[in-house]
Amino acid sequence: MNIFINQEKKFVEENTNLNLLLKKLRIEDKYLAIEVNLEIIPKSKYSQYIIKENDKIEIIRAVGGG
Amino acid sequence: MKDHLIINHKEYTSRLIVGTGKYKNFEETKNAIETSGAQMVTVALRRVNIGQEKNKENLLDYIDPKKYTILPNTAGCYNAVDAIRVCKLSEELLGGEKLVKLEVLGDQKTLYPNVQETLKAAEILVKDNFKVMVYTTDDPIVAKELENIGCISVMPLGSAIGSGLGILNEYNISAIIDQAQIPIIVDAGVGTPSDATIAMELGCDAILMNTAIACADNPVLMASAMKKAVVAGREGYLAGRISKKAFASASSPSEGNFLYNANKKKT
Repeated sequence: MNIFINQEKKFVEENTNLNLLLKKLRIEDKYLAIEVNLEIIPKSKYSQYIIKENDKIEIIRAVGGG
Repeated sequence: MKDHLIINHKEYTSRLIVGTGKYKNFEETKNAIETSGAQMVTVALRRVNIGQEKNKENLLDYIDPKKYTILPNTAGCYNAVDAIRVCKLSEELLGGEKLVKLEVLGDQKTLYPNVQETLKAAEILVKDNFKVMVYTTDDPIVAKELENIGCISVMPLGSAIGSGLGILNEYNISAIIDQAQIPIIVDAGVGTPSDATIAMELGCDAILMNTAIACADNPVLMASAMKKAVVAGREGYLAGRISKKAFASASSPSEGNFLYNANKKKT
């Protein structure tokens, strides 16, 4: 099924949770925040959240800023 | 003499807060920040680049949140709704930390604060128990309003972000300091060490800067200069300056002067 990650269209298998998604994307950042359809999913719930068709996922990290 | 800055119940020996933007690489960021002696550093929140190997490294691998207080900003926000969204993301990202630097800007050319949206966001964030350090104009009335709302620090601009024009309105900064019960931190505008010293001499509790260090020809050397400038300004403020006089006041005694004209009547 199709989903959007940081506004990019991506294909994921059914029954993919957020931990699995991060693994597939090879994102290993210790400090991350994830929003699905504008709602923050806490780290403790990554394995429970099963991605749905057309989910809009934002994966956020800290970068240099003033 | 113990003269520590206290923010959110934490004591800081350094009164210099630095940004992490605009450096050539993370190594330079780390070196400059270590040299500056800063104990609090700002970061921004952005998307992870999906599938790009070069973005593997994370800023927070270099700037350890266990060693530094991380102050996430809301840079890039032009309204209260976006700013609140970023603050909630930063709380999640940093494992529940509620300390934020709120900045809601008006437009991309001036990067001047949008005061109306800033006040709106501050009110909601304070109610949600965020510890808000707020970037704003050098307007004393707005500064007081933000303090009354419950912000833990007000951070007026010295001049526009990244401009390096220094402190354009010393009188306004002084007025803000005079009335405040919370730390006042000049944020933005500092270009040179002397700008930082002037702000500290006025009685600011700290200074937040980024571009002045990151974009100097030699950022690490500038970080060292800024560290000293902030300390010099603070000590100068605490020591209490002399008053300005219109005429000279000799430093050497007139008594015992043996020179020919010494005892002539003053004209």
